[in-house]
Amino acid sequence: MSWLLRLYPAQWRERYGEEFGAVLASQRASPGLVLDVLGGAIDAHLHPQIQHSHSKQILGDNMGDDMTTLEMLQRCAAGGPKLSPRDRRIASLVMILSALVLAGLYIGLTKIYRAAPAVEAVFYMSFPFLALVYGQTAYLRKRHWLTQIFVLGAGLLGLYLVMLAVCVVGSKL
Amino acid sequence: MMQKAKDDAELADFGRFSEPALLILVSLAEGPRHGYSMTEDIEAIAGVRLGPGTLYGALARLEARGLIEPLKSEDRRNPYRLTSLGERALRARLDSMMTVARTGQRRLASA
Repeated sequence: MSWLLRLYPAQWRERYGEEFGAVLASQRASPGLVLDVLGGAIDAHLHPQIQHSHSKQILGDNMGDDMTTLEMLQRCAAGGPKLSPRDRRIASLVMILSALVLAGLYIGLTKIYRAAPAVEAVFYMSFPFLALVYGQTAYLRKRHWLTQIFVLGAGLLGLYLVMLAVCVVGSKL
Repeated sequence: MMQKAKDDAELADFGRFSEPALLILVSLAEGPRHGYSMTEDIEAIAGVRLGPGTLYGALARLEARGLIEPLKSEDRRNPYRLTSLGERALRARLDSMMTVARTGQRRLASA
């Protein structure tokens, strides 16, 4: 059962992994337990509480009441994961270029196919798509380029299919 | 009065972790405990056994809000204790639950 621990984020495992493993080992294996751990892993990815508590622990253990450090940590926490200004600039640039490409694609498709659901889906997916592009570019930048293409491609395809389904259903109502 | 409402609100936005978080605070009200000991204690007092995913989801939130804090331990089972903020939040929540329970019982008695 300890393999389930790998589903949690690395930072979370570093903080709670050992004690979590001890509690997990003390419980009888069951589908309910697996679901509980899976739910916890999804929650840990979606709501990384650990960043906040970890910074508090650092302060308590090593840095005392150094207000400068506290302010720096709070600024980092407020800005989300560590992104350098360069990371943000690159992500913004990629997002703007994607917006231009998407706008061009939409105009071109509208000229040819008018307001077909497949074209409308391109319009509706553009807003979440741009957020997706920014996020993936910023957070996956240090990953292998194949990983980036795969994650972004899968996200884009999923988004398009959902919007297409919505447009097809909407056009039949 | 406002401070009490503020303390009570500490647990309000825990979503599905509200109840486990309250049970953890009740468990820690007796003294520091580690995860396994908490699950045993909570099962004894409330009849529910928290899975590790739920337990640590609630523990991480409580720790992030400063309602509990970890204690140093050589053992891999890290104990936690209530902070003064956690104690106030627990008191406020129990008071508010007690008010609801009393009102409910009074209305049932007069129905």
